[in-house]
Amino acid sequence: MKFISTILLQTKRNLQKTWPTQFMTLLTVSLSVLIFSFFFLIYMNMIKAGENLKDDLRLTIYLEDEPVLEMQMQLVRKITNFSPVDEIRFTSREDAFKRLAAQLGDNVDVLDDLDPSFLPPSIEVYPKKNLNTLAQIQRFSEYLATLPGAIKVQYGQEWVERFNYFTKLLRIIVFLSGFLLIMTTTFMVAYTIRLAVVARQAELEILRLLGATNGYIRTPFLIEGFLQGLLGSSLGLLALFFLYSWIEIRFTGPGILQLIDFTFFSPNMIGIIIAVSILLCTGGGFSSLRKFMRI
Amino acid sequence: MNIQPGNKSIIEIFKATKIYTPDVVALEDISLSVPSGEMLFVTGMSGAGKTTLLKLICGMEHPDKGLVEVAGKNLTRIKDKEIPRLRQQIGMAYQDFKLLPDRTVAQNIAMAMEVSYQNIRTIKKRVKELLQKLRLEHKHDALAGKLSRGEQQRVAIARSIANSPSLILADEPTGNLDSRTTRLVMDLFEQCNTAGATVIIATHDEAIYKNSIHRVLELYGGHILTQADRSISPLNNMP
Repeated sequence: MKFISTILLQTKRNLQKTWPTQFMTLLTVSLSVLIFSFFFLIYMNMIKAGENLKDDLRLTIYLEDEPVLEMQMQLVRKITNFSPVDEIRFTSREDAFKRLAAQLGDNVDVLDDLDPSFLPPSIEVYPKKNLNTLAQIQRFSEYLATLPGAIKVQYGQEWVERFNYFTKLLRIIVFLSGFLLIMTTTFMVAYTIRLAVVARQAELEILRLLGATNGYIRTPFLIEGFLQGLLGSSLGLLALFFLYSWIEIRFTGPGILQLIDFTFFSPNMIGIIIAVSILLCTGGGFSSLRKFMRI
Repeated sequence: MNIQPGNKSIIEIFKATKIYTPDVVALEDISLSVPSGEMLFVTGMSGAGKTTLLKLICGMEHPDKGLVEVAGKNLTRIKDKEIPRLRQQIGMAYQDFKLLPDRTVAQNIAMAMEVSYQNIRTIKKRVKELLQKLRLEHKHDALAGKLSRGEQQRVAIARSIANSPSLILADEPTGNLDSRTTRLVMDLFEQCNTAGATVIIATHDEAIYKNSIHRVLELYGGHILTQADRSISPLNNMP
């Protein structure tokens, strides 16, 4: 108890003495956390949206002719042998025409002069969720194109590819901003503590002569690092939450946010971001103390 | 590690030599034994090696040759983690005071007790008590940097005894004090000694040890003068 109260008193003194530098470091940590968590939030939501898109993934194989029952069985076997699927649906020319008519609704009359058999028959394949990458989907699609009677395979290539590239880009940004977060928090806190150590060299020397233990000298600096991490990340996340709420209110209605069901970090994720920031800041402080303070 | 009053010998120095670079011999082949509870004066001219001797005893410096033992611990081989514990039991009043000018008088004195995690209430009480004894109570909240040298010296002395150490080392504690304040400070050291502390005072102020009943050790050119040497000591030949 005496240890804690003495250390807290010492920390309070240090903070009072070095508050302008501490404040600047706090802002830097907050900004780094804000930048990182901003991109990370978008990335997380895109990944989630990707998962949802995968649920809806459907590959349509357009055929030259309607396959007979025996041929259908053979096609199913060939498809499932290549990759497990949830469902395979055969659509005849007639069914395809009916579906188009239903989709046209009131404008159905545009089909009046057309032959009901003008649409090609098709097979709709709903793959299992094990198709994780674009390359796997492409490979499956290429295989389906080689099936007997297949003319063309469609799965919204353009959209899936764009989405995939966007997610890749986001991943790079998240890594870069994560790297930025690590560098800024660790180095800024280490630098601040280094400055504090240099500024208080005379005091530390006297403390050593009076019999201060390593714990007595180091702990207040580590508490400063801990507080930088805790307050800095909390402020950064709070700012992000306000930004998120503002975007949510401002952009309600049909749009991308509705499409991908944008959500904020879960409490667990918030805890992890704060914990990592604390760890980085305290670690930065510790490394600085080891390097610049010979006790 | 505990420095207990009543131990046979609290300080044992055997053939200790200290040479500062490049080749300044501060102490040479010094041997000294200080029983626990003794009050000892170390005298000598400037540069005789008084401060170096105190620095060897408190572990600020290590001998180049020989052995320095405090409370049975060889200071050249003492483990790093044992040093703070030992220093907490040694109160040292430095010649250059080593005060923090931007801290108050009370805070400077309290530092010595804070490092050994003493209760805040106990610290406050002890600081007030010491300031009263040294007639500095009106300077409680004054910044140490704003004090006169005599006042700073008293603050340094108060800090050295604040933790009630078993061993008190005072380097020229009365150098900046008038005769009345000198008496006040010496009375305080006497009180500490009576309470069981070993007190070593390095001084060249003859007035404070002349009529003292305590042992006086004279240094000259890094050597301890024996009784025979003393007759030819320059201090004794001074007008």
